Amino acid sequence: MPCYMAALRPADGDHARSVLERLGDDVTTVVGPCCGQPAFNSGYRSEARTVGRALLRASRGHETVVVPSGSCTSMLQHYLPSLWGPRRSKVERFSDRFVEFSAYVAGHPRLATLPLQLEGAVAYHDACHGRRELALTESVIGLLARIEELDVRRLAYEGECCGFGGTFTVKEPEVSLAMAQAKLADVAKTQARVLVSGDLSCLAHLGATARAEGQELETWTLAELLDRALA
Amino acid sequence: MSGFRERAQADIAAGPPSQTLEPILRKLVDDSAARLALGPADARARAEAARAYAVEHLDELHETLQAACARQGIGYHRAATAEDAVALVGELLGDAHRVAKSKSMVAEEVGLTHALRAQGREVLETDIGEYIVDIEGRGPSHITAPAIHLNRSRIRDLLASAGADVPHDDPVLLSQTVRDVVGEFFADVDAGITGANAVVASSGRIVIVENEGNVSLGVSRPRLHIAITGLEKVVADEEAALAVLQVLAPSATAQPLTAYTHFLGEPLPDQERHLVFVDNGRSQILADERYRDALRCIRCGACMNGCPVYTAAGGLAYGSPYMGPIGAVVSPLLWRDGRYADLPSASSLCGRCTEVCPVGIPLHRMLLDLRADGAEEHGSTVERLGWRAWAQAFSGRTGRAASWLGRLGLRTAGRLPLPQRADARQLPEAIPARNPAMLVPLATIETEPAELPGPVEPASLAALFRERAEEVGTIVLDTVPPEPGDRRVRAAAAIAATGSVVLVGDAALRGPVMDARRLVVELDAATIARHPQDIAATLAGDGDALILTGASRTADIEKRIVRGIHGPEALLVELSSTA
Repeated sequence: MPCYMAALRPADGDHARSVLERLGDDVTTVVGPCCGQPAFNSGYRSEARTVGRALLRASRGHETVVVPSGSCTSMLQHYLPSLWGPRRSKVERFSDRFVEFSAYVAGHPRLATLPLQLEGAVAYHDACHGRRELALTESVIGLLARIEELDVRRLAYEGECCGFGGTFTVKEPEVSLAMAQAKLADVAKTQARVLVSGDLSCLAHLGATARAEGQELETWTLAELLDRALA
Repeated sequence: MSGFRERAQADIAAGPPSQTLEPILRKLVDDSAARLALGPADARARAEAARAYAVEHLDELHETLQAACARQGIGYHRAATAEDAVALVGELLGDAHRVAKSKSMVAEEVGLTHALRAQGREVLETDIGEYIVDIEGRGPSHITAPAIHLNRSRIRDLLASAGADVPHDDPVLLSQTVRDVVGEFFADVDAGITGANAVVASSGRIVIVENEGNVSLGVSRPRLHIAITGLEKVVADEEAALAVLQVLAPSATAQPLTAYTHFLGEPLPDQERHLVFVDNGRSQILADERYRDALRCIRCGACMNGCPVYTAAGGLAYGSPYMGPIGAVVSPLLWRDGRYADLPSASSLCGRCTEVCPVGIPLHRMLLDLRADGAEEHGSTVERLGWRAWAQAFSGRTGRAASWLGRLGLRTAGRLPLPQRADARQLPEAIPARNPAMLVPLATIETEPAELPGPVEPASLAALFRERAEEVGTIVLDTVPPEPGDRRVRAAAAIAATGSVVLVGDAALRGPVMDARRLVVELDAATIARHPQDIAATLAGDGDALILTGASRTADIEKRIVRGIHGPEALLVELSSTA
């Protein structure tokens, strides 16, 4: 469970765990360590490495670490190992164990045995790091298509960032807000009132902006959607 | 000192830049992708290879180029700094008083127009967009569309303030108003200054793309032509130049090629031509392998067209001649005094810039490296200590405690009215309330029809040429009855996929082309090639060449296309199947 999820909406971590258990996996929840991305994206690399090292250590003893966040997974797979320079291959042994939640579920051998059903309509927000760093879009769309009676509405400008960007939203709040408003306008056009995404960080930003603007919107992580579709 | 945030804040408060930019750029991004899809499948790979080769062999290519320039009678010059560049251009201009300048990002970078005016010269920005932003006085807001931030009514006000008679704000009228001022200026002009999109090392040809015809006038009317460009703009040969051209216009404006593509060789007997290469920090960028590939940039602007931060903040918020993602990368590298130290943070790191860049520059990764450099060089002690404390809290056995602290901190911060933070965003609830009714949409939406098959490409190159040429406004006929004021020339080749005709040697003489009322091009169907990359053989040698893709046009006002700016009113092609 990523640090921000533990701090903001731990219920999503519980949803992810519940889905994995329904798939028959033996699950331990590792609550709250950080991948180092906030410091890394701010340019503080040795601090990012200190924090990332602690997370990599926490992965010891686990075959796979499933991360319900494309952004953290991208940090772990693409950027964190580079902080060890020439010794990166030693670190990759650990970082390779981290897999993004939707990719893990989509590729799970027992997925076909799960009854997935939920009546309703949801809009889908494709988070940038999942889309571009991990190329998850098609697999997520395929996963959503397995949920019976669910009407998944894709956004007209799916490739545009919602404006969260971690420390970006703190450093450039005006621009960040304008980007969220543009994204919410696209969400509104779908007429759906539940917004689903792989990353809670985008959803927290969009949900907060929607509330401030008086736009009626529930924000669900993919984990929550799948868990509810299983119930 | 104001930074990106303050400027963005002010511009958003003054009327969100996205109101003007969002519809234009969203359409442009879609159109660009569709245009690139009509080109060769490996167009981007070829362009990337051509630019990567140039960057890796820059010194060698400049040596070759210097020899080629000597053969062509083109003056080859280098300026180490912005000041040197301005002084050098001043010397080359000598007593030239009336100077027609066309678009050049490097000229913006070194402050050329202002400097030449300070020398007492009369300098006119002859590109319609540049002319408009010159009146406004804040500089261009986009690399290829300088006035994109201004809507038609604002442009009308600006032109009126400069004394123009503009009774309404129709983009056609506004564009023609500027065209006429520029056209009059060209009647008596001493020198033309242009940029260069590429310079071919093997032949010494200067490659310039334009839509309006002001470059055509600027390189042909005055006795003196000076092209100013960055050190990195050299390419190995014509094939490499064509590889760049093949992605440049599609990425920039979603055009197949611009209306005019110039390959300028030896100047005419009564003319002088000089090439000024500006270093101004580029050698330092070249020396750092983390940023070297930024020198591949062909200044197409695709990274800003696709950037949601650029769309929300507008180009002027960057405060630099180079805006958007590429601006956030090169500005702090070209000006190392810290004035643009905040630009690498003006990105959400969504990675779309890297995705659309046609020459494979990993822009968002460079922004990350620049942030790390910035933390070393400009980071405050408070920030550094803050991150150290954060690292301590999140790395020890106290991880769980840190998370609870973080939760408390975030939740409290979210509820406090932070200074300078008037937005009402709040953090989510730990266990969100759910209302099953929310799964019911406000309206049903009809499912979109299955994707239609793409347009079927005509079987023959001649038919494809005809179709694409007509799309860009060229009239294609079997025979063209002569009319007074025609200039009739024979094409050396044509490009089917872009609907272009290729003129070389005397046929490419810009003086008579620009004076003609109609340009009639005789084309033998047997000389039609498929893509720009297939005409390298036609461009063998080192004479002048001119690729025409429709008659002149502008889209500088709200991206509305206005045809017939400078040069012939019509481009007609007489297509025959025998030589």
